[in-house]
Amino acid sequence: MTTAAWPRPLPPSSLRAALLALMLFLSSAVAVPSLARAEPAAAPEMPTDQGFPILVHVGLAMTKLDAFDESGGTFDATVNLRVRWQDMRLAIPGAKPGEAPLTLRQAAAEARLATMWVPPVVLANLKGESEVLATGLRIYPNGWVELMRRTRGSFSTPFTVSRFPFDRQALTIDIATLDEPANILALRFDQSDINFSRPARDLELFGWTIGAIDLTLKPIAAWYNTVNDQVVASLEIARQLGEVAAAIFIPLLASLLIPLLTIWLESVEKGKLQSDPVDLLNINIGGLFAVVALNFTIYTGYVFLSSGDNTVTRLFALNYAVLGVAFLINMVFSRFRVLETAFGPYVQEQAYYFLMWAVPTLVVILAAAFVLTAIV
Amino acid sequence: MTFRRSAPVTLCLSVIVLVTAMAAVAAMLFTRLTTAVEENQFQLMRAIVETALANASNKALATAELIASLPPTQPLMAGGDRKALLAEFAPMFAIQKARHGVDQAQFHVPPATSVLRLHEPSAFGDDGTASKPMVVAANRDKAPIKGIASARNGPAIFGVAPITDANGRHLGSFEVGIAFGPLLADLKVAYGIDLALFVDGELLREFGKNIAPERLGEDNRVGHYIRLETTNAATMAALVEPSDLAVVTEPVTYTRDADGLVQGVVLIPLTNALGAPLGVIAAARDFGDSRAAWGRSMVWLATMALVVMVLLCGIILIVVRGFVVRPLQVLGEGLVSLANGGPLDPIEGSERFAGELQPFVELYDRVRLRRARAGAPS
Repeated sequence: MTTAAWPRPLPPSSLRAALLALMLFLSSAVAVPSLARAEPAAAPEMPTDQGFPILVHVGLAMTKLDAFDESGGTFDATVNLRVRWQDMRLAIPGAKPGEAPLTLRQAAAEARLATMWVPPVVLANLKGESEVLATGLRIYPNGWVELMRRTRGSFSTPFTVSRFPFDRQALTIDIATLDEPANILALRFDQSDINFSRPARDLELFGWTIGAIDLTLKPIAAWYNTVNDQVVASLEIARQLGEVAAAIFIPLLASLLIPLLTIWLESVEKGKLQSDPVDLLNINIGGLFAVVALNFTIYTGYVFLSSGDNTVTRLFALNYAVLGVAFLINMVFSRFRVLETAFGPYVQEQAYYFLMWAVPTLVVILAAAFVLTAIV
Repeated sequence: MTFRRSAPVTLCLSVIVLVTAMAAVAAMLFTRLTTAVEENQFQLMRAIVETALANASNKALATAELIASLPPTQPLMAGGDRKALLAEFAPMFAIQKARHGVDQAQFHVPPATSVLRLHEPSAFGDDGTASKPMVVAANRDKAPIKGIASARNGPAIFGVAPITDANGRHLGSFEVGIAFGPLLADLKVAYGIDLALFVDGELLREFGKNIAPERLGEDNRVGHYIRLETTNAATMAALVEPSDLAVVTEPVTYTRDADGLVQGVVLIPLTNALGAPLGVIAAARDFGDSRAAWGRSMVWLATMALVVMVLLCGIILIVVRGFVVRPLQVLGEGLVSLANGGPLDPIEGSERFAGELQPFVELYDRVRLRRARAGAPS
């Protein structure tokens, strides 16, 4: 009688190496959420019986939109990715047209997928961890395969606020083939995929109006002068104005009045300015503090507005510029009386009368231009 | 009327008119530039669609001619052996259908009697003289022909090649039809253009026996047309209305707002090889960028014009009133006081008055000083 020998305990260094390998394996599995999740020992070969490129049809429907983080340029969503391809090795010879497909779900689908070739299609802009909520597989008698995966995750998306608050954004999901060049594996979408690619009827995102999903083919450059196919599914959303206008634009436009007050408060008599320049300067400095505080408040609440050129940064620039102009007028006219010294009191008087209406007019014109360029 | 008011008003109005005229000319130039860019976009869209249709018809005809000239085709057609034809060409058709958008393939004998439909082998023997004018023409003229036609599976782009035996005897024809659906989807993939195919409803009901009834339903009805294929149903429904399709005898272009975006639309009439109207292809592209650029140009142009007007009017007011009118007014008040025997105060800042006014200032000062000396206690 023989007894099976117990495996000897591993030395500590081997144990550490094994743990490290396990961690690396787990991290790589999380980082690239490919459709072929469980990589079989010997991967089935791609179906070459119809030549290259193998056409893989993709479509994407959005079932849930949990959040849109404008500061981070990410959104959390649940999507249904549909991938279709034809593999004649799976066709049933002699099957009648219209015969029902083999339909598998969840574990059964995963088990079947492990035994067949699956196109290496990934959601390329998934950020962080994602979760596959459901898997469905249909294999039609004519060899067509339809794989559905419901995935929940956070997606990074390009984001520009140059037209804020009248902006429309495209929340993009990049469906890409990272392993095979386009001449081997090509992504396509047809009428059926276009019809499939739509947001759920009850999809909502606070502060935004939901539009349609558009599919576009945007190949990405790959190694050795090749390209990999990528289909970008873009959900159009349009910002709703109400809350933003009240929270940002009313104080921004109101703060423009502070430097204008210093111009209007001055009075002129026989070419002489009557106010004490120090009083006007104090109002200006108060205005400066108000704008700085507003600047800090808005950029803290809406971090994404703090970089780049947009309506808010332009209006802040206008605020600072008007404060500067008011300060300059105060210095030139009240403190140093430059025009009076150079051209006499009546030139200064008329110049000041002009500035009293011209500065507000120019401010209104520029503020309107900033807002209008965002609207058009 | 006073010079104080009339001179600045005249000068400012002149400035406003001139600046407005210059801004209007600049706006016109911008508008023309934008129109030219959009016109090029329309031409490009039209060229893309027409080239794709031409390529598809060439491809259909090339495939048809290739099959018609293959050695097995002629004896099988001469013998009318349907089963052998099906066995010979069914695998080829399956691949063409799966990968190349070939939707229909059919053998005919003159004038247009179906021998074998590779896409529907069970239906044969019917006379297509009424519905297949291209097949009739190919069999009559014994010459290849290509074009768009409506068939049992719906409209497609066809190529028809005559089949002749080694002795030159005409046996019939082979027809290949490429479906519109994959073609439109490919154009959307390649160029980002949304497209829709509108086909005469009567024509579809008469000949499109195999078209699913739901595709001919009210949801897809646009006037007397049926929207049979589209790459974006919602957008195209907003962009193409029954009145747009009422009369399309030549390419029509227009822009329309759909879901807040300005889209450029080209309507291209479709006719069969004999010139009879079949329907319309609509192609739409987002013109938002060119319209936004135009809008921004207009806003900045208007802004610059207004700023220039304000500044120039300001300069006019300061020069006319500050250098001339106000000194004259102050001097006039002094001289009136002088004539009336009123009090004569020194004129503030008179040393900065223009040189032309200085003689009056000196006169006033001399009289004021003389009076002051005369009135001063000795």
